[in-house]
Amino acid sequence: MNKFTPLFIVSVVIIFSAGSFLYFMYPIGSSGPQATLAPYNSTMEITLYANAAGWNYNTSNPNPTIYARTHVLLEFRVIEQDTLPHTLTINPGPNESQASAIINVNIPPVPGTVVWANWSFSTPGVYTYWCIVHPETMVGKLVLNSSGNNSTATAISSNQPSFYLNGNSNTYGAREDLYE
Amino acid sequence: MNFSFQLAIFGSTVAVLFVMGFLLYFFAQDYRRNLLIGSQNSDSKIENNLRLSRMRREISLSAFILDDSKSIGIRYLITSLLFFFIGGLAGVGMRISLWFPNPTFLTPVQYNILLTEHGTLMLYGWASGSILGLGYYLLPSMLKIRRDSLGVLNSIMFWFFLLGGLLIIFSKSSATWYFYYPLTDQLTEAGGGLFSFATLIGVLLILTSLTVSSIIFLKMIFLDRDESIGLSRLPLFAWSIVSTAILIVSSAPISMIADGMVIYDLINPVFFTGSNGTALGYAIMFWFWGHPIVYVAVLPAFGLIYELLPKYVGKPVYSYSSGVIGLLLLLVFSATVWGHHLFNSGLGTIWDILFSTTSFIVVIPSAITVFNWIATLWSGRIKLTVPMMFIINAIVDFIIGGVTGVMQSDVGINELIHGTYWVTAHFHFILLGMTTGMAFAAIYVLYPTLSGGKMYNVNMARAHFILTAVGTYVMTIPWALGGFLGMPRRVAGYFGIFQSYQDAAAIGGIILGIGQLIFLINFTYSMYSPTIHSNENILEEALS
Repeated sequence: MNKFTPLFIVSVVIIFSAGSFLYFMYPIGSSGPQATLAPYNSTMEITLYANAAGWNYNTSNPNPTIYARTHVLLEFRVIEQDTLPHTLTINPGPNESQASAIINVNIPPVPGTVVWANWSFSTPGVYTYWCIVHPETMVGKLVLNSSGNNSTATAISSNQPSFYLNGNSNTYGAREDLYE
Repeated sequence: MNFSFQLAIFGSTVAVLFVMGFLLYFFAQDYRRNLLIGSQNSDSKIENNLRLSRMRREISLSAFILDDSKSIGIRYLITSLLFFFIGGLAGVGMRISLWFPNPTFLTPVQYNILLTEHGTLMLYGWASGSILGLGYYLLPSMLKIRRDSLGVLNSIMFWFFLLGGLLIIFSKSSATWYFYYPLTDQLTEAGGGLFSFATLIGVLLILTSLTVSSIIFLKMIFLDRDESIGLSRLPLFAWSIVSTAILIVSSAPISMIADGMVIYDLINPVFFTGSNGTALGYAIMFWFWGHPIVYVAVLPAFGLIYELLPKYVGKPVYSYSSGVIGLLLLLVFSATVWGHHLFNSGLGTIWDILFSTTSFIVVIPSAITVFNWIATLWSGRIKLTVPMMFIINAIVDFIIGGVTGVMQSDVGINELIHGTYWVTAHFHFILLGMTTGMAFAAIYVLYPTLSGGKMYNVNMARAHFILTAVGTYVMTIPWALGGFLGMPRRVAGYFGIFQSYQDAAAIGGIILGIGQLIFLINFTYSMYSPTIHSNENILEEALS
């Protein structure tokens, strides 16, 4: 046996144990500028039907531009419509960028599945919501206006082309009568 | 979540490691040929292999390039000890963090990472690795094997094992050791999906290594052993390896399939999506392997006790045939009890009754084994050496852990204690007392051979034993008591009423950690003390 073998083994054990422990403890980097939920005191529910031809494809307004406000908890209620896998991915800016995504949830390919994704934004501006699997067809804009103070209730004026609804339909397939 | 960037780094790391592995493989081929065949040109390959199986290989770094069975065993022993210390430090860190009800220095994410690393490394790295190491090291000389073939395959499987362990460490997954699907795929702030990806590949590599090694063990035992050793004179350690190997070969592929499907699900969720109930499918496929691995960790320890007890008592094993029957019955029954992990998951009443019954039936072979040991102890004079202390402690711990485990077979009691520290106490009794204790006992028995004639410091070894045993009790008994009151496991904090239990467990964990440090100190100290012993040991048969 080499004279230094035991010392080498023991030092490898000690260095690797301590190093691994520090590595486990090392904080994992935040995913972007908005890693934490912005404070909010009101919520807004947004329903999206995931269809490979486009978000809300079976309605009169596919891939709608969503208008909302910052410091409001946006509750995305995503309903699977076809049998294909989708994601709801939201990133800041007018272009699709997976690297800077703030929301990225998978939608299982079973029709009727409801997936919730909640987030409140702090920075106003234009955001892109899209599907990683179908980036050409399933893409739309999310426009966030500043809420002035942080106490905006459900202050979405009716003249905006909003499509959100409060219906509780769990069936799939768009139902025009549920839209405003 | 810079997925593609991290994936590129990860992929290139894997590629580099694979290239290094294959380079090492070619060097090993050359080195082995020069060392073994080139020096003695008159020896045939079979004679070389006979010499290999009779040699007393000591710890050295050249074991990492030689590929005879003994060297492979030493590789596994060194690597699994490394994983043991990494996982143990993670465990002690969790204990210290749980001193106060609110987490002291670990955030919940960090706690989950430590929890996952502790569980995965201890089961796949330490328990499986030490079994593979002892099997490769002991079987050739116990069976006087005639040919030591497939060394290259063994070598590659070892590098798979090492790479798998390193990927588990690298990945920092926080999905606990069984990677239930929706948890694995959660794209949390920590990027659960990405981080579990590497762990799943690591687990797959380790399972491949386990499966192939099991087949090699079976070949070694049934095809390569000397003609003088009939099936009725097979060492009981070999019988325990037979049970283990059949268990691994029959159940690990199911888990490998499930892991592959989860890896696919991380990219395109199809198989185990939570909406249509198939998430339970992953749980079923996992526990089909997840329960046998517990027996995989325990059965070779049974075999070691059977081998070592007669040496320290001075009498043969009380009943050889009941020992074999017990080990084989454990193989049969342990493959049918996996459903008791899913009593609360809604398998259905009929299934619950079935798995409850089979779980109770497992008591029979376990009791046969334990009473066999007790009868052996009863009949002779006990020499209380350090390995014998570990053996007696293992028997006691196994009885306590077994009784606490059988109580959980009852569906009603299971409802009460599911997800509490009671379960943790149960399997830590067995895995600490039996698996870890017997691995250390075997290392102490093999010490003169592994160190080339050195002897460990007996007082330090006794201190190691006492701290390990006391630490086990101080840590697990408060867990059992608190768990029966409903102390939930696997969380970074707890309710204030449980603080006394958690503090006692933390003290036990620190005692355990100090004990293992003493083992390291003893190893270093004795390796640089003078040679005072022959390099024979009592576990391998004397040279013939």
